[in-house]
Amino acid sequence: MVNFTNFDFDQLFGFSDDSNPLLMLIWILPIILFVFYGQRIQLLVTSGEIKKGIKKLDGYRTEARTELIDYVKKNMNPKEDPTKKIDRFLDYFTIMPVDMDPNGIVEKVRHIVRAREDYSRNHVKSLSPETDEIELSKVITLLEIATSLHMIYKIINHMYLTAKKQNNYPLILPLQMILPFIMEEAEAITKAIPVFKLGQPVGDGIGPMVVGKMMQNTKKELVAFQTVVSEKEYDGRKLVLLKPEGPGSTVGRPGDAVETIIAKNKPDIIIMVDAALKMEGEDSAITAQGFGVAIGGIGIERFQIEDIATKNNIPIFAIVIKQSIKEAITLMTKEIANQAENVRSQVHEMIHENTKTGQSVLLIGVGNTIGISQ
Amino acid sequence: MFSKEKIVIAYTTENCKSCNMERKRKFKEGDYLFAETFKCNSCEGTMQIEKIFGEPIEK
Repeated sequence: MVNFTNFDFDQLFGFSDDSNPLLMLIWILPIILFVFYGQRIQLLVTSGEIKKGIKKLDGYRTEARTELIDYVKKNMNPKEDPTKKIDRFLDYFTIMPVDMDPNGIVEKVRHIVRAREDYSRNHVKSLSPETDEIELSKVITLLEIATSLHMIYKIINHMYLTAKKQNNYPLILPLQMILPFIMEEAEAITKAIPVFKLGQPVGDGIGPMVVGKMMQNTKKELVAFQTVVSEKEYDGRKLVLLKPEGPGSTVGRPGDAVETIIAKNKPDIIIMVDAALKMEGEDSAITAQGFGVAIGGIGIERFQIEDIATKNNIPIFAIVIKQSIKEAITLMTKEIANQAENVRSQVHEMIHENTKTGQSVLLIGVGNTIGISQ
Repeated sequence: MFSKEKIVIAYTTENCKSCNMERKRKFKEGDYLFAETFKCNSCEGTMQIEKIFGEPIEK
């Protein structure tokens, strides 16, 4: 039987006088190796993982491109092969304005973003001018998906190749840290492709879903580009309902719409309903109430609404429905869809608490309205 | 030990505007929220799409 209380440590580690020089080498060699080549070994191990990620990203962007070309060929029936034109669209870039002097920068960003949107729409439409607006909005969204995946692949691949070229381990560290987040986002974007092709509602559409239902049996009018408004009475209050025009894939232009509405008739409060990113550990499809402009994007719509509301001294209330990035851009889950009725009753409660009879409320459903009419 | 792959199936639920009867079926291309679909089987009222959502099933 082995006696565990009586080990000879000198003998075990080869420290006794009659130790074998070969054993000493076995100890010393790895130490020397790790001191001088540790970073390179780490670089090799890490780059193997990153390479796998980049291969996946390449697969996602190829899939998005192929799906887009097939969809255009099948649904737009273009006279010429659209492949060349689509490939050119994928490489389009946007140069953001100089921010050394931030005065007026939002206007400049809006101008550049709108110009890009208009250009893309006109050029996609030129592939087949007879295409209807709903189909066109789906193609534009699929083009945005393909462009995003193409850009993600190019940036990550560039960072990886630069670190490899310079044999620079610290350069690869930030890439290793952000890659899991990038992969999660890229996977979610790829999974959104079939949803947009079929015209199904996404999690982000919960705002338009809530307001769309309230717009039933009212007269709808186009108030801004791809944005509709209608009016109805609720318990002695005037409700002005605003949402992107569905069931195409669009978020509309709520900023312009709010400007037009307020110029005609100033509401007493604004309520915004939108999807919001949940924190890790938070349950999906829970709702929360707060204050301020609940709207995503790069900030131009938010700035515009905040500006008008401040000038006119209108309080803004918000109701958000929490979800993950994947849930926001893929098929709406049952849990999120089931929250619509609850959010409507919260809106009614909010109206009662914050307005009196005879006052008016502007209710805005924010988000992508794919698969959601009004 | 290994999580099973989940497939998401899209469903559409329709409600009758008159008698509130609810019907759940698989999503068909062309369905969108608040579209009026068929006549209600029980009261001849109009059915309207109320929800479209995905439900995961384990493979």
